[in-house]
Amino acid sequence: MEVLRARSGAGVTLEFIDSVPRFFSVPRPDIPDARLLQLTAAAVIAILAWFLLRGLLPDAWRTPGSPELYLTGVAGVLLLLVPIAFVVAKRGGSGANPVNWFNAHVACSLAGMVLIAIHSGGFLRRPPALLLLALLALAALGIWARVRGSRRMAATFASKAPRFTVPDAATRERLRALISEKRALLFRLDPQANEGTFSVNLPHFIRSPRLALAYRRLAREESMLLGTRAAVSAQQAWWRPLHMALAWLFVLGVVIHVITVTFFAGYVADGGPVTWWHITAWGG
Amino acid sequence: MDNLNQAPSERLALLIDLERCTGCKSCEAACKTEHRLGPGEYRNKVVWASELEQAGLAFLTLTCQHCERPACLRACPVNPKAISKDPVTGIVRVDESRCTGCGECVIACPYSAMGYDAQGHHAVKCDLCVERRAEGAQTTACASVCPTQAIRFGKREELLAEARNSGRAPRDHDHFLLGPATIYLERSSTQNVGGMVAVTPARAHPDSARRPSFMDGLAAQTAVQAQPPAFPYREERSEAAVDRVVPGGCNICFNCCTVKFHFKDNKLVKITGNDEDPLLKGRVCPKSQLTLQMYHSEHRLLYPQKRVGARGEGRFERVSWEQALDEIAEKLKKIREQYGAEALAMFVGTRTGILDYRTTTKMFAQLFGTPNKDGTDPFCASGKNVAFEITLGSIGSGNSYTERDLGSAQLYVYIGDNQAETRPVYFGMINDWRIKNGAKMVAVDPRLTATASKADRWLPIRPGTDMALGLALAQHIIANNLHDAKFCADWVLGFEQWRDFILQKGYTPEWAAPITGLAANDIRQLAEEIAAADGCVIFASRGINQHTNSTQTNRVLMFLSAITGNWGRRGGAYFNMSAGTPLAAKVPEDRAPKINRPRVRRSPAGWTDAMLYGKPYPIRALISCNNPLAQWPGQEKARAAFAALDLMVHIELFANETSAYADYLLPAASGIEKGEIGRSNDDRRVVWIDKMIDPPGEAKSDTWIWVELGKRLGFGDVLKEEYKDPAVLWDQVCIDTPAMKGCTQKRLHSVPHRWVRIPVASEDAPEIETLYLEGTTVPTGAPGRRFPTKSGKLEFWTEELEAKFNTLGLSALPEFYSEREQLVDLPYMELQETDAEEGVISPFCSPATGSARGKIIEPGPDHPGAKLRAQGFDTELVTGRPPAAHFHSWTHYFWQSQEMWPDLYCQIHPQKAAQLGIKDGERVCVESAHGKIEAMAWVHAGIRPTAVFIPIGWGERQPYNPWRPVNFLTDKTQRDPVSDQTNLKVLLCRVSRA
Repeated sequence: MEVLRARSGAGVTLEFIDSVPRFFSVPRPDIPDARLLQLTAAAVIAILAWFLLRGLLPDAWRTPGSPELYLTGVAGVLLLLVPIAFVVAKRGGSGANPVNWFNAHVACSLAGMVLIAIHSGGFLRRPPALLLLALLALAALGIWARVRGSRRMAATFASKAPRFTVPDAATRERLRALISEKRALLFRLDPQANEGTFSVNLPHFIRSPRLALAYRRLAREESMLLGTRAAVSAQQAWWRPLHMALAWLFVLGVVIHVITVTFFAGYVADGGPVTWWHITAWGG
Repeated sequence: MDNLNQAPSERLALLIDLERCTGCKSCEAACKTEHRLGPGEYRNKVVWASELEQAGLAFLTLTCQHCERPACLRACPVNPKAISKDPVTGIVRVDESRCTGCGECVIACPYSAMGYDAQGHHAVKCDLCVERRAEGAQTTACASVCPTQAIRFGKREELLAEARNSGRAPRDHDHFLLGPATIYLERSSTQNVGGMVAVTPARAHPDSARRPSFMDGLAAQTAVQAQPPAFPYREERSEAAVDRVVPGGCNICFNCCTVKFHFKDNKLVKITGNDEDPLLKGRVCPKSQLTLQMYHSEHRLLYPQKRVGARGEGRFERVSWEQALDEIAEKLKKIREQYGAEALAMFVGTRTGILDYRTTTKMFAQLFGTPNKDGTDPFCASGKNVAFEITLGSIGSGNSYTERDLGSAQLYVYIGDNQAETRPVYFGMINDWRIKNGAKMVAVDPRLTATASKADRWLPIRPGTDMALGLALAQHIIANNLHDAKFCADWVLGFEQWRDFILQKGYTPEWAAPITGLAANDIRQLAEEIAAADGCVIFASRGINQHTNSTQTNRVLMFLSAITGNWGRRGGAYFNMSAGTPLAAKVPEDRAPKINRPRVRRSPAGWTDAMLYGKPYPIRALISCNNPLAQWPGQEKARAAFAALDLMVHIELFANETSAYADYLLPAASGIEKGEIGRSNDDRRVVWIDKMIDPPGEAKSDTWIWVELGKRLGFGDVLKEEYKDPAVLWDQVCIDTPAMKGCTQKRLHSVPHRWVRIPVASEDAPEIETLYLEGTTVPTGAPGRRFPTKSGKLEFWTEELEAKFNTLGLSALPEFYSEREQLVDLPYMELQETDAEEGVISPFCSPATGSARGKIIEPGPDHPGAKLRAQGFDTELVTGRPPAAHFHSWTHYFWQSQEMWPDLYCQIHPQKAAQLGIKDGERVCVESAHGKIEAMAWVHAGIRPTAVFIPIGWGERQPYNPWRPVNFLTDKTQRDPVSDQTNLKVLLCRVSRA
């Protein structure tokens, strides 16, 4: 806690407690745009190189399900677990340095994408290729957001001046009711919390999923009434929800793929040999 | 926020007074410097908005609201959150080290007050300068500099109580029940005066008004953001930790802000207002702060260069100072031998600084033997200077910006003076006194400027007809016996002659109404208000000066002030920026060669025929110390003339269009790199600026350059080596005049604000708040003389004066005329000789100067305006100063000035825009009989429907957003025969979509 002194415009000396910790002494390990583009370019070159050169490689590196490609896929998935860990660390309250986690999610995603591309064996007309497509879309969206979208984000400052408009009574009434509902709900969800600074996070969803969802619904309605997402461009407003949705779709796809190759190995092999580790060969 | 949460009594906040804010963006500059934010990064931003249906201009300083229920904080997905709220002070802060840059907070804030660092990928926001205050500052950076005291910082409850006590209402902007802490005070209500033409400016607010879209143009902003900013922006706070502070001043504009230069390890890290200044109290305009971007600019010229390509091509090679100066000196000698010393012209001025403008360059010209030296005065202020000299015997009103003097006026009338944007701090003081004392303010201007937006009444006069307004105001006052008869009898010479003249001429309000476009009733009302006010200050400026009737209009307005007793009193004055700084710089008579030929013309624009055709005699060399190829009217001819020269030397900070025509390009120092004084300003303050840092690269001070060049021409005994030290030059040369004698280095350095108000006849002579008070004697004049004229009285008309005016084909009794290019046919000035002819020797200039004689032409069938209208030139073009962040060319090299005002714009009324199918933010083509340019449309109801406004200062070779300068549209031949001032305020043009 630090005692600060200030003088108001009228020359009155103020004394107040500033309990906010010093933030700026901590260096921020950001990945600059140029470095991000270099990493991306390296990943794209690696994928293209592999596709161009795979004809020269031994058969095992061109045969889906071969031990080599199987292990490559496993490694890719392990790398792609880092973005999930990033989500957990960022939202779960245990991540000491979310920026480092973010950077790890970027680096591991790009590396994982390369391994998954290799794992595909170049067979791009089969359903699992959709996963590779999702990964590419995720990467493209993330890079756009970082390199281009951030400029839009910066340009948003002071772009909503009409929000200083004379208040609309009906909106206010609905907001007032919503805030009351949120407070009542919050008393059950997290009694110590202050509605004005509270939002549900991962631990709440784990502890009280029903209440957390209900609170999230009210918070979303409030956000809708504020109209803030609608006040910015569609790309700026929706890139992140889309990024997250794609990520979840990817995760779902990976789960389906893993179940299929593990339990329905015969179906996947389609009459050929099952060369990868599996539990059952149903569907053969 | 409807008491959803109890606000803590210790809650801190900003109070932003919409009645005071003039949109100058000084707070933006302060914020970015304090927090070292780069292009595109904001913690605060001033939004401009203008009405489409009604004339109004609004400014909203947007910053974090420090809400009770911060939407940004709740939107942050990081756990624990990267945004936090102090439970005691209520300050909402972002922890940049935890922010992953997702931008949800940016989207969530309904006030769009959450900034974002697009380079570093994290949110940034206002934290009410927690760290700055922790280091000992008493207020926020924005509040500390605000020229108008529109921003204040303190405990929220106390700020609210103060507002309530002064009868001001906070605006309810809590639409979303977020409980914003920031307080916005509503505009004060104003009396609607009705009237046919006078307009009560709308108390506009951005909720009803539109932002000019060109200001945020993506391409323009991208151009600024593409170039990384030089030190200290985007640096860590520790890199800019201050270890030394030196007081000084800003050398850019006429407000002469006093500032403090903050250093770390001798590196300049910040420029703030000087809070120890008893007058300005730390208030400072954005330009002063942005000179930080000049001192560290990557665009500065670093070493001497010699042209290797064709003129205008801009190809140079690096040379040494020795080579450059030796070669220039040799060429000057040859030109002097072949054509005479008069063949050298010197154009000095704005960028050069007053010290060199009035001393070393003047001495050099005298030693070389050329009369062809002048600065920017004939483009800006020579008309008012002549008018002051012949009426008062001195330049400037004699009043001061103090509570007892200007603060005691009951009425402020601005005629052709946009003070809010040209001298923001001074306007802030006037506006403060207006609000506190309930004084009235009237603005007469073709545009609803930032100044007019604060006025009680705006009179949108036809440009170029202010003289008719002044005559009609005086006629109404005299005809109705409202004048101060005693003052006129005691202190005015020639009052009767002038009174009889205007009564006989019939310059009534009814006569003036169709000329000015104002209602006769409004003119009468204004006249009666001026006459009745116990203290009326009339402010005039370039809107009056930049006309062919410049001298006479200034005289009429001076007469108006005088006959109402508003001269030589507190709270009553005629102001026209600025008061002169009478520096002495005379070389010994035996060292100044006899000048055989008169100066070609006073206006440098009048030198182009001498350059091109050798008439009336040849000018073969030009040394230019600023940027004539953006500044001079009639750019086509100016460029052709420069291309024809034998020698062209350009002394500059940044390469510009003029540089491209130079044979030698010499890098100059500025401000604290060389040591100088501030510009001449309204209330006689001489502001001293010490040399504090070395110039970049091999750049040198102007004094150094003139002394070194002088040595090579044999002037070393007069332009002495020791004068390279500005303090020596000052004490040994500059102050050898009665008014300046006491303004020594010792005295200037004895005060923490580094200024002395002149005249001070000795080091211990007291400063005089108001000159020419009744019962006083002019300090530097003969005993018993109240005013510094020969007669000791204000001189309206004398036989001697009449004879002088007759020399130029005019009368000392100001007869109305306007401009050649008008939408209605009015009497106009026609010069009887071209610049290629010798003309007559002007009785108003020193040294001897050639001048054309003038003739007032009455409207007739061959009126040039009618011919132009027949060709489709159907719009009045008004040119002038851009908003406060810019000043001529040099601020266009400061990235933040460009970020604030990136593109050249054309203000156009919605009606005209609709007729032409022009939308706000579209590119338009503007063409006059003299040239063509393009600009971005700013659709704005605060301008006469028949007029467009385009600002000066942009140029084709500027680094961020280059545009052709507006002076391609102006005409060098439309000049005042008395002062040689060019008309830059009304030309006919046509506008179309580009």
